[in-house]
Amino acid sequence: MSQRTEQIENLFAEGASRLLARAADNHSLTGGMLIPRISVAVGKYVLRDDPHAAPEVVKEFIDKLQADDLCLIVACEQGNQKAWSDLVERFSATVRSAARSASSNEEGAEDLAQSIWAELHGLRVRDDGRPAGKLAYYSGRGSLAGWLRAVVAQLAVDQHRKQSRLVQTEEDADFDRIIQHGQEENAWSGHGDAVNPELEISKKLAGAQMRKALATSIKQLSAEDRLLVKLYYFDGLRLREAGAVLGVHEATASRRLTRVHAELRRQVEITLANQGWTKPETERAFSEVALHLEADIEPLLATEGVLMKEENEIAG
Amino acid sequence: MKQANNNEVDLLLRSLARARDESALESGSSSGDGNRATSDHLDADELNSYAEGVVPPPARARYTEHLADCDVCRGIVVGLTSAAGAAIRSEAMEQKGGAGFWQTLALLFSPAVLRYAVPALVLTAVIGISLLAVWQRREQHELLARNEPADSATPTAQLKQSESPTSLQPSEAPATMPKRAESPAAIDSVKEENYLRDNKSPVAPGAGTRTGEIASSAPAAKDAGQAGESAGLSELRPSYAPEPKAAATSSGATTLNEADKATQVPKEQPAKLEDQERRRDMYKSTPSDERGPNRAAPRSTAAPQSNTGLDSLSAARVETYGQGKKDKAGEKANVETRNVSGRRFAREGNAWVDTAYDSSRTPIKIARGSEQFRALVADEPELRAIAEQLNGVIIVVWKNRAYRIQ
Repeated sequence: MSQRTEQIENLFAEGASRLLARAADNHSLTGGMLIPRISVAVGKYVLRDDPHAAPEVVKEFIDKLQADDLCLIVACEQGNQKAWSDLVERFSATVRSAARSASSNEEGAEDLAQSIWAELHGLRVRDDGRPAGKLAYYSGRGSLAGWLRAVVAQLAVDQHRKQSRLVQTEEDADFDRIIQHGQEENAWSGHGDAVNPELEISKKLAGAQMRKALATSIKQLSAEDRLLVKLYYFDGLRLREAGAVLGVHEATASRRLTRVHAELRRQVEITLANQGWTKPETERAFSEVALHLEADIEPLLATEGVLMKEENEIAG
Repeated sequence: MKQANNNEVDLLLRSLARARDESALESGSSSGDGNRATSDHLDADELNSYAEGVVPPPARARYTEHLADCDVCRGIVVGLTSAAGAAIRSEAMEQKGGAGFWQTLALLFSPAVLRYAVPALVLTAVIGISLLAVWQRREQHELLARNEPADSATPTAQLKQSESPTSLQPSEAPATMPKRAESPAAIDSVKEENYLRDNKSPVAPGAGTRTGEIASSAPAAKDAGQAGESAGLSELRPSYAPEPKAAATSSGATTLNEADKATQVPKEQPAKLEDQERRRDMYKSTPSDERGPNRAAPRSTAAPQSNTGLDSLSAARVETYGQGKKDKAGEKANVETRNVSGRRFAREGNAWVDTAYDSSRTPIKIARGSEQFRALVADEPELRAIAEQLNGVIIVVWKNRAYRIQ
């Protein structure tokens, strides 16, 4: 056994002891019962990205685990009926609420909630004779309630997929299809009463190229910026909500979005320049496309404004 | 310009998102995670940890990468984030409700409240203390007003209350108590004592008169003569002593003449007390065996005989009183007097005062060595002799005029 491994194992054992001491109810668990769970969690969140993480980092990670929730889940997994009853009693409302949010109707929510407990307990049996439920995947890093909500949401997605037999497409294909769709629409719809059909077609083609360049530029953004763009524009979240997902303040998200706008514009200009566009052409295309889109988006923005006003009135 | 550029990009992005939604609707796909295998998605633990912001930074960057491209996981994270925010808000609300008492307490002692409350409390305390002081002062005045008559009573009443033989404790004269109880006169005197004590009669002469009446009504005194009655009276009230000054004047031990006596004796001293004092002195000087054990003793002697213990105590008290009287007389005797030019002067502090001087008269002030002084002594050589023989301030009555030479 290498010194590093021994050191890590000692950290796990000491961390397990501290975790049991921190728990209000350790359900008569021993350190040995917790060490495998701690090991998995550390490997998943720390050692995978940094195999040579310092002992202090590992120790800090273990000390931030949810002691009570982890002990409860491990006790349930160990077959402690009292712990299981405690789990159901404490979190049945959370599961029901999450199921209601994920389902479109009350009946589906009830079915989903019931199936959650079966999934947690496990319908299959492992080699050691214990049920192979989802309880084994709770690391204790986040709250048990949040984990249960995530489990419900994932289960709802799976059920939805099974029911609708979804054919999932690549996101990139989405963009390509959008562009293709736009090109076909622009080419054949005969939008507007163009005085010069050739000019009109060229404008629409320019718009399509610009959208494609924009989609490409989005892909080149950093993960954080891309996530922000997706959350704000594609998922329709407000800046405050998008900032919450990213773990930043609304103002920070706003500043970051402004920076992303500039970066996207610069990337689009570079892309179009690579396609032979001159700078004046690019600028004119931006203006024209924006003017055209503004006319299309105005009703949508007006609707958003009304909604925001109503929200403010309710909040205020 | 920059803002306009941003607006153009913003509009483009909105357009792109709308077109993507329409495309997704047409194709029947609601997510854009493509053919990503289910195993590539984040598990529930990772999604929850990300939503709660407890993922270590390296792992978080990896998950962010996935979330930016995976609509399904992003959707779940968005839902979990909003749920976590709602949970945090509800927890905050619970904490707010739980800490209501402490918050109320903190508000109660907040500077904004204390700014007005402290002066109000101080003002209230000051008013309360003032009212209490006024009330106590009024109480004292009432007490003084109530006690004033008793205080202003003659020494007879005071002594009656404090030094009456009947006020003796049993331990002081245990042997005499049965006899006292058998003596109707003593019983009467006790009744009288209690009566006086209860009523605190402010008028001493009245009290004395009443005492005399009671005493004269005693069966033991019925056969007694007037002299015995008076002697018995003095025996019953041995402590009815006049003021020491009066005693001094009556003793005649001083060198003061009659005019001096008139000025020295307190005006409020009743003459009756002097008589009582004299009678008591007579009684003291009379040996008890002169009357004999079987002789019909006058009423005045009957009581002392029957109250042997009281007699001894009374005698002791009289003796004590006599000692005090002597002391007073000694003080009087110590008063320096001089006779100059046929005038008697008494030393009063730093001044020689003519004994014929009436304090009600206002003397003519003359300074020694002044022109007025020289003129006066030139006219009255006796005054010159007086002024030369007596130092300090001299108050002299000369030819119906009072002069203050200083």
